[in-house]
Amino acid sequence: MGATFLITLREAFEAALLLGLVYTYLDKTGARRHFTWVSVGGALGLAASIAMGVAVAYFSGPLIDLGPDVIGAGVIFLAVILLTWHAWWMQRHARGIRGQVERRIDEARSTQRLWMVGLIAFTGVFREGAETVIFLWGLMAEATSAAGWGSVVAGVAGVVAAGTLGWVIFRGGQRLSLARFFTVTTVLVLFLAAGLFSTGIGRLQSLGVLPMMAPLWDTSWLLSDSSAVGSFLAGLLGYRARPSLLEMSGYLAYLLVVGFVMFGGAWRRPAPAPAVRASASR
Amino acid sequence: MKALAAPLTALLLAGLALAPLPARAADQEIPLTIEKNRFEPAEIKVKAGAPFVLVITNKDKSAEEFESKDLKIEKVIAGGKTVKVKVPALKAGTYKFVGEYHEATAQGRIVAE
Repeated sequence: MGATFLITLREAFEAALLLGLVYTYLDKTGARRHFTWVSVGGALGLAASIAMGVAVAYFSGPLIDLGPDVIGAGVIFLAVILLTWHAWWMQRHARGIRGQVERRIDEARSTQRLWMVGLIAFTGVFREGAETVIFLWGLMAEATSAAGWGSVVAGVAGVVAAGTLGWVIFRGGQRLSLARFFTVTTVLVLFLAAGLFSTGIGRLQSLGVLPMMAPLWDTSWLLSDSSAVGSFLAGLLGYRARPSLLEMSGYLAYLLVVGFVMFGGAWRRPAPAPAVRASASR
Repeated sequence: MKALAAPLTALLLAGLALAPLPARAADQEIPLTIEKNRFEPAEIKVKAGAPFVLVITNKDKSAEEFESKDLKIEKVIAGGKTVKVKVPALKAGTYKFVGEYHEATAQGRIVAE
């Protein structure tokens, strides 16, 4: 039962994290009434997950053998692009904020980025959603005894716990000033996207698009990425117990290139820190 | 939206173009069964350097996820279903895999030599 709880918690954590971030983003930019964009994106992600779960459970054949893997890899890289774009936008605006929060809010609204946060919510939910659906479905098929139903409850509790974590992130994010929130999220999203990027590379390796190679090292004895802590670090930072050279270099290349593009300018110019602090104290 | 449409389309097309075709007839098919949350056989011997296809049949009612961190493969197999997983050519060595949903019992390895 504990294992069941951990499995769904792990699968749903990333989705909760992304939903928490985009809801907070809308809240911080004064666009609360646009929450529906995220909700609709998340709901569509859930619907797509269920559709995929049903397809995998009822059909078989070459399309089902390969389709989910190709879609899965596509969703990963789509998420990387969306997150990078979003982080870049936030970073650019974090630098510009000098306490005139209102003006920035107007700009945020006028730039019509709502469809993008909706799409981020969609990819976040859809990425591991189908697996969670099939897993829970299998548990229900097995649930003929009290212990079986206990597993179903544990599985659902895992999803709820992940949702609660997303809520905690949302509340935590609300306390930060807009400038600080943008900076913190940019860094967080950068690591998250780097981890996703390296996951995507791993998928392409398993699909035979990129060459397979032996892991560079193995730290699973120290911290397995299927343990609770390991899987949180995997979701947040892209931790891998056994990364391949390609995954590792993809991760580093993403961090260095995108990190430099986003923060390179900030290092060169005199620090805007006092202004940021002024807005933080509100 | 328009600005993103082009790169997204390109990405999708690239994904489709890069997606390997369904297993060629030449690839050896190796059966692997999941029953009572265990793999049978628990050890699979394959030739190094030759791609192959794992034909995984889940005889249990519950779903299982064939997962191999070594092979970067994660594949969910619904209860009572059979799924083919193409495995690229491997260097000689041992590659562990588990059933993620029943990790305590569902363990196995592929030995390429």
